[in-house]
Amino acid sequence: MKINQIYVNLPVKDVQKTREFWTKLGFSINEQFSDEKAVCVVMKEDHIYTMFLKEEFFQTFTDRPVAKGETTQTLLAIGVNSREEVDQVVKTAIENGGSTYSEPQDHGWMYQSAFSDLNGHQWEVMFADMSKLPTE
Amino acid sequence: MKINQIYVNLPVKDIPKTKEFWSKLGFTFNEQISDERAVCVVMNDNIYVMFITEEYFQTFSERPVPKGDTTQVLIAISLNSREEVDNLVNTALENGATQHEEPQDHGWMYHNSFWDINGHGWNVTFADLSQMPSRP
Repeated sequence: MKINQIYVNLPVKDVQKTREFWTKLGFSINEQFSDEKAVCVVMKEDHIYTMFLKEEFFQTFTDRPVAKGETTQTLLAIGVNSREEVDQVVKTAIENGGSTYSEPQDHGWMYQSAFSDLNGHQWEVMFADMSKLPTE
Repeated sequence: MKINQIYVNLPVKDIPKTKEFWSKLGFTFNEQISDERAVCVVMNDNIYVMFITEEYFQTFSERPVPKGDTTQVLIAISLNSREEVDNLVNTALENGATQHEEPQDHGWMYHNSFWDINGHGWNVTFADLSQMPSRP
């Protein structure tokens, strides 16, 4: 079984501020799927998208209450193309209202850093060179 | 900015049961980054879901893992046909998942959904974007 696309759906308080934040990080927006209740961030064209939905709208898709930000149900790890890109994304996130929750980690074959976005969703940004993955 | 891959990390109670569930749905695993604490489900060449034991997941976040009484994320995955959508959801339901919403047919898009055995919500869709109605 193979999927062809993924949309990660996350609740947010303010769609406009969320759109500005992710635009500053350098991502583009799929306007066809965006409106005042949701913004669709293109992470990898045709394959990977993140939909940020206003909490009230997100609530209509689940029977359970929207998490208030004091727990973590998901950690989203995204791969970029270089160490420099990792640091750049995290730095820009922090300059624009994000925060850090862990120190950058250098595993040689993999480098990662992390930020918590405006809405408290946690992102692990990594550059991995799988050809250097140590074998056991 | 473009990412090259995404790993959606989700906490689970039991790795073998989780592995069995996703295996029945027809997915394969990346054994290289799976062990007794985590299983990596290959959704396609650049989309992965890592199911991590709650105890191990907790080491990556300062906030507690939720008890399954709230929702922070809903994940939508798209497949190649309506039949694949229904097959996947039906197989999930036969193996311990629960129905989330009733299937919805929007003509250009069909979707069905389930809560997996760990309480994570999945929307499964087939979309024919060429048939998507344009906005007025």
